Formats: sequence, C-alpha cells, structure tokens
Amino acid sequence: MGLRQYRAMVRKDIVRELRTRETVVAMLLFVVLAMVVFHYAFTVPGGGDLSLLTGGMLWVVFVFGALLGLNRTFAHEKDEGCLDGLLLCPVDRVTIFLAKMTANLVFLGLIQVIAVPLFALFFATGRMATHLPAFLALVVLADLGIAALGTLLATIAMHTRARELLLPIVFLPLVIPLLIAAASGTSAVLSGTAGSGSVLGRLAFLLVYDGVFLVLAYGTYDVAIGE
Amino acid sequence: MVGDGDTAVPEIRVEGLGKAFGRREVLRDVSFTVGRGGFLTLFGPNGAGKTTTLRLVATLLRPSSGSVAVAGYDLKDDPMPVRRAIGFISHNALLYRDLTAQENLRFYADMYGVADPGRRIGELLERVELSHRRYDVVSTYSKGMLQRLAIARALLHEPRVLLLDEPHSGLDPHAVEILDGLLGEIRAAHTFVMATHNLRQGLALADQVMILDAGRVVFSHVGRLAADEFAAVYHEHVREGALV
Repeated sequence: MGLRQYRAMVRKDIVRELRTRETVVAMLLFVVLAMVVFHYAFTVPGGGDLSLLTGGMLWVVFVFGALLGLNRTFAHEKDEGCLDGLLLCPVDRVTIFLAKMTANLVFLGLIQVIAVPLFALFFATGRMATHLPAFLALVVLADLGIAALGTLLATIAMHTRARELLLPIVFLPLVIPLLIAAASGTSAVLSGTAGSGSVLGRLAFLLVYDGVFLVLAYGTYDVAIGE
Repeated sequence: MVGDGDTAVPEIRVEGLGKAFGRREVLRDVSFTVGRGGFLTLFGPNGAGKTTTLRLVATLLRPSSGSVAVAGYDLKDDPMPVRRAIGFISHNALLYRDLTAQENLRFYADMYGVADPGRRIGELLERVELSHRRYDVVSTYSKGMLQRLAIARALLHEPRVLLLDEPHSGLDPHAVEILDGLLGEIRAAHTFVMATHNLRQGLALADQVMILDAGRVVFSHVGRLAADEFAAVYHEHVREGALV
C-alpha cells in the first residue's frame, strides 16, 4: 500500500499546484528575474570570462528559488486544516516525507527546465553542452539534497508561527556545503576542467550529503512531523 | 435503532489517560470503555479536554501517560491498525479546498487502500446527496455540504469506530437534520465517541455519557439518560459553561 499512498500524495500536490499555480510561478519568476539582474550586474567590459563566477550565481539562484517552494511544502495542509487528515491515514511517516520531497523535486526540476537554457543563453559558453552529462549529474544530486534537507526542515518549521522566517534561518547554513560543491562543480564544467576529476569529487560529496539527510529524515521524520 | 454497546467486547479501552503540553496538564487519569456498537458522548465546558481525548484516541496526539486500545490494538505498539479502524469527523472537514469532491475522496481512498475506490466513492456521494457536485472544487461548497462530504470521507474505508468532534458546529438547521439522519442510519454498524456541548444532539444516540471538567472525569454513566435528568447532573458537576 505504501507505493499507492506515495503516488496519491505526489499526485495530489501536483494537481493542486497545476490548479492554483501559487508555488511554481513564484519560483520561476524569482529565478528568471534574478538571472536577468545577475546578467546586467556582472557584465564585464570587453566580454571577460565569467565561467568561474557563473556556477555560484546559478546555484545561489536555485537555492533561493527552491526556498520559496519549500516554504509552501505543508502550507495548504496547515492553512486548510488537512494535516490532521493526512496524519489520520494509516501511512508510514517516511512515505509522507518521500512524497513531499518528490513534489518539491518536481517543482524545482520544472523551473530548472526553463532556467538552465536561459542561463546558457546569458552566461555559458558551448562548454555546458560538451559536458552535459556531468552538469546534469550535478543538478540531479544537488536537487535531491536541497529537497531532502528542505522537506525535513520545512516539516519542523511548519509547527512554528514564524515558519516563513525560521526555514531560511535553519536551511541556509546547512545547505552551504551543498552550494559550494554544486557551484564549484558547475564552474569546473563551464571553465572546461570537468574532465580533470574535480567534478567527480564534487559528485561524490553530493552523494554523501544526500545520503546523510535522507538517512536523517528516515530516522527522525516520525518525531519531526510531530503531534 | 439504537443499540446498547456490548461492553463485553470493548472496541475502545482507555486507561489512566493523561496529556501534558510542557508543564500544562490538560488531561488527567481519564478511563473509559466503549463496547462494540456503543455510543459514548463526552460533555464538558470549553477546555475540559474533550477534543484532546478524541485526538489522543485518533493517534493525532501522543499520550503522556496511560494507554489506549482501539479494535484490540494498542495505540502505542500498533498505531497503523488503530488508524485503519478509525473515522474522524470534526468541525474542520479535513478536505483540500482546491480539489474536487471526487479528487478528495480518491486521495483518501488511496491513502486507506480502499478496494474498488470508484464504486465506493460513487456509493458514498449518492448517500450524502452530493453526486451532482462531485466534479466541483470543494471551495465552492457550503458549510453543510462540506460536512456531508467530510462524513463521506470518514466512512470511505469502512471504519469500525467513528470519532466525532463537535460535528454540528457551524451548521444550519437543515444541515444538522441531514447530519443527524446520516448518523442515525450508520449508528448500528459503528462504535461512536462524540464530543459536544449540545444536550439534545449529545443524548439522542448515546447509550453512555461522560462529563469532563478541567481535564478530569467528573461524571460517567452507562445507559440512557433523560435530558432533564442529565442537565441537572451536569450543572451539579460543572460550574462554568452551559449546555446548549
């Protein structure tokens, strides 16, 4: 029954989002606007090489954009009083975590499908296409880490009155290691040094990071979702 | 037909139940048994601990002390079968307002592993007279319609036990009539615990009553009671707050 429940929760969050468009549209607008701002702010006279900077730019935008969505993880359950309905169901709490994390991953992935080509247009050279598998692996692993950490913290934060304030305060310090790995890996891709093994090291780090927060969520989610 | 609970087969057994939020103790040493097919009504003023008791039995809160068993399963050791055995109706419908009635019920049917969900949803929507609105988003429903849909949601997985927390709250007289009619229809097939302020509605189906005040049981009676008789007992035990 776990798979049926998982699918039902993911489908419910996606159908609801398709109908209200309150999360993805805000995330997308933020990401696009931030890229436009960065594009003009970092215009170098004479067209200098920005490849060492743009990896950081891209992931700062994604992390803050994701934060907008993560803040909404349980918003409708809390606002509409449906959290009790969810908790009354005979469902393992980890299944709730996995479903919420998947919905957050889908929303983040959706904005990246639009944002990454825009980023390539603004900042990247043809190197991104050359090292596309390495770049995609970085995106997948970094997204998984953002969603795992963010879903766990959003669950804890939802029980507080100032959840919109609390989530960034606890999320941002913990996401810094991921941000460094994803940004430096992306910069390596864009500067053409992706084949040197530096990206592999970053990917390995992201894999460990994801594993740590997935295991942490598995062990603590029953308490995190609380009473 | 109103059936007396078979106390020889306890469907709900609560022993020495207590709940504290931090240092604040909101429930102390509450014990009761409801037999299969029984109907217990909890009375008491605001803050007496009625909702806390229901939420503890429903597994929405963790007890600080004592034990709860539903349908033979201990809440602490076996929460999943307890959740499967319970249907919960409160003044909050527990429905997603941006989804249709069909989508809401389908979601809960999947969550409870209901077999043949299409047939069951159709059957229940027919029963609560909402078939004609099944593809409308719930945000367009009136309070009475929401409550009828909430009943369909709670009955979807054919629970053995129904917990009702002020189910009549905020309903107009017509909606109250429909709700009472539905409760009367399903009365014989379920075990009930209802929390209410309403004397008439609380006593109509009950074969067991309990009064809570300041988190403690101050009166408990198995068997039916006349409204006048019960009102006198209530005012003898509860100083603040009146019955409606």
